Amino acid sequence: MTLTTAPKKPAAAPEKPAPTTPRTAPRFAALRWAALRWAALRLVALAVLLGAWQLVVAAELWPRVLVPSPGEVWHQFVQSSTVHDGVRGQSGHLLIEHLGVSLRRIGIGTGYAVLAGVPLGLLIGAVRPIAVVLEPAVTFLRTLPPLAYLSLLVIWFGIDESPKVWLLIIASLPPIAAATAAAVRTVPEHLIEAARALGAGPLSLLLSVRLPSALPEILTGVRIAVGVAYTSVVAAETINGVPGIGGMIRDAQRYNQTAVVIVGIIAIGLSGILLDALLKGLERALVPWRGRK
Amino acid sequence: MPQAETVVAGPEVLLEDVTVRYGRNARSLTTAVEGVSLTLADGEFTVLVGPSGCGKTTLLRVVAGFERATEGTALVRGSAPAPGTGTGVVFQQPRLFPWRTVGGNIAFALARHGVPREQRAARTAELLERVGLAGKAARRTWELSGGQQQRVAIARALAGEPRLLLMDEPFAALDALTRERLQEEVRTLAATSGTTVLFVTHSAEEAVLLGTRVLVMAAPPGSPGRIVSELAVDLPRTSDTDPAALRATPDFARLRGELTATMREAATLDA
Repeated sequence: MTLTTAPKKPAAAPEKPAPTTPRTAPRFAALRWAALRWAALRLVALAVLLGAWQLVVAAELWPRVLVPSPGEVWHQFVQSSTVHDGVRGQSGHLLIEHLGVSLRRIGIGTGYAVLAGVPLGLLIGAVRPIAVVLEPAVTFLRTLPPLAYLSLLVIWFGIDESPKVWLLIIASLPPIAAATAAAVRTVPEHLIEAARALGAGPLSLLLSVRLPSALPEILTGVRIAVGVAYTSVVAAETINGVPGIGGMIRDAQRYNQTAVVIVGIIAIGLSGILLDALLKGLERALVPWRGRK
Repeated sequence: MPQAETVVAGPEVLLEDVTVRYGRNARSLTTAVEGVSLTLADGEFTVLVGPSGCGKTTLLRVVAGFERATEGTALVRGSAPAPGTGTGVVFQQPRLFPWRTVGGNIAFALARHGVPREQRAARTAELLERVGLAGKAARRTWELSGGQQQRVAIARALAGEPRLLLMDEPFAALDALTRERLQEEVRTLAATSGTTVLFVTHSAEEAVLLGTRVLVMAAPPGSPGRIVSELAVDLPRTSDTDPAALRATPDFARLRGELTATMREAATLDA
């Protein structure tokens, strides 16, 4: 065994550790250079924004309490992320803990919304009588601002975890159900026909053709739903929301801690971007055929 | 029992005075085909040839069970045609399921025909080999060329071991070389399996090459499509006949010429 592999390995190994770039390198280098330039542009834009912010603060157009400086926001970010003078972060929890609790609520809420919304969308998309009854209900829910039904949820479920999760479910279910229903309806007729010719019955058509064919749009629906849940989490945490990023913001608002509010907003936004990128990656992994024939 | 025997002995496909009309009301009503009668005997390779818009696809869809005859009778093995009941269909486009692999597409058909899970992999490999795609089961459908995709579609249609195979211009979108190769493969497949084939094309060349019997359809301007002529193709063919050599024979040229002339004449005929 060693004899057969021996002549091969040394041939490559003792070579110089490739100080020169491979032949295809210039193109990759150019691509990487382009990517770097775009990243640099983003950084410059961010710097300009921060500079403008700093200028506005320095000009003292508004009182410091209303418009804190970037430095103050940074300070609050550090404060809320550490234990200082025996105080744990902000409102008794670290920023990352607030964020973690909110993300968990979003995860559970949209998770249930997917579990309920996809079958619901399938039924609405495939069964006419169900669509007639439930589709207006879904649209009705979709147009409601979460704060409108929060009070009802508090009356029903109290002020603990359940009203928050319920709010996120109600907020994120309609986009998933609507996207699924629309996708199931627009499954290419030629694929349905091909499946029928192969002997597929109604159930098999629904589960083996309509559902997978709708998967790309369903995942888009999930991404929208996560976005909606994100925008609703502050509303969900209006009452007894600590720990939770929304609760933290409400608390800070009560004491006019503008910088903390801004820290919370930035934390929500940045984690949202990250999560969306994650979902996009998931989409690519789950529906590699998207955009192909 | 004697009834069952008559069904088996009867023709594979029987169309009697079939008329297909589209449209919801009298004003938008159009007649695609009118008064078509046709029988396909068991094991016959029949080609339906004619210009586009003459109703040949409509007729095939009636036999497939996708379309219902407005008037007249359509029977496949003695009963009204319905999709997925022993009739394989190959469309002009492969119509593969992109969310399934090549093998997955075939396994789907196998599952619908009650092949147990543990046998599907072996049967899939077998079917892929029959269409010259051995070892491609794990590939994604879009990684294959158009010709290969159409081969998968053929393998998928054959998965249910159909007694009747309907092919609707299956090679129209392929390049000439691929088309020639697939034509020969389909002819051999049909000849060896004894499957009845109804093949739709607009090419006189393809019709003569494949069919043992060619039916010419035509729809002169403003009138519905009908079968206007029938041509028996009695070319000397065995399983190892070289299609190129066959094409070069005077008989082939004569038949193709006859057919082209018939088609041209039919297109200008008054209804």
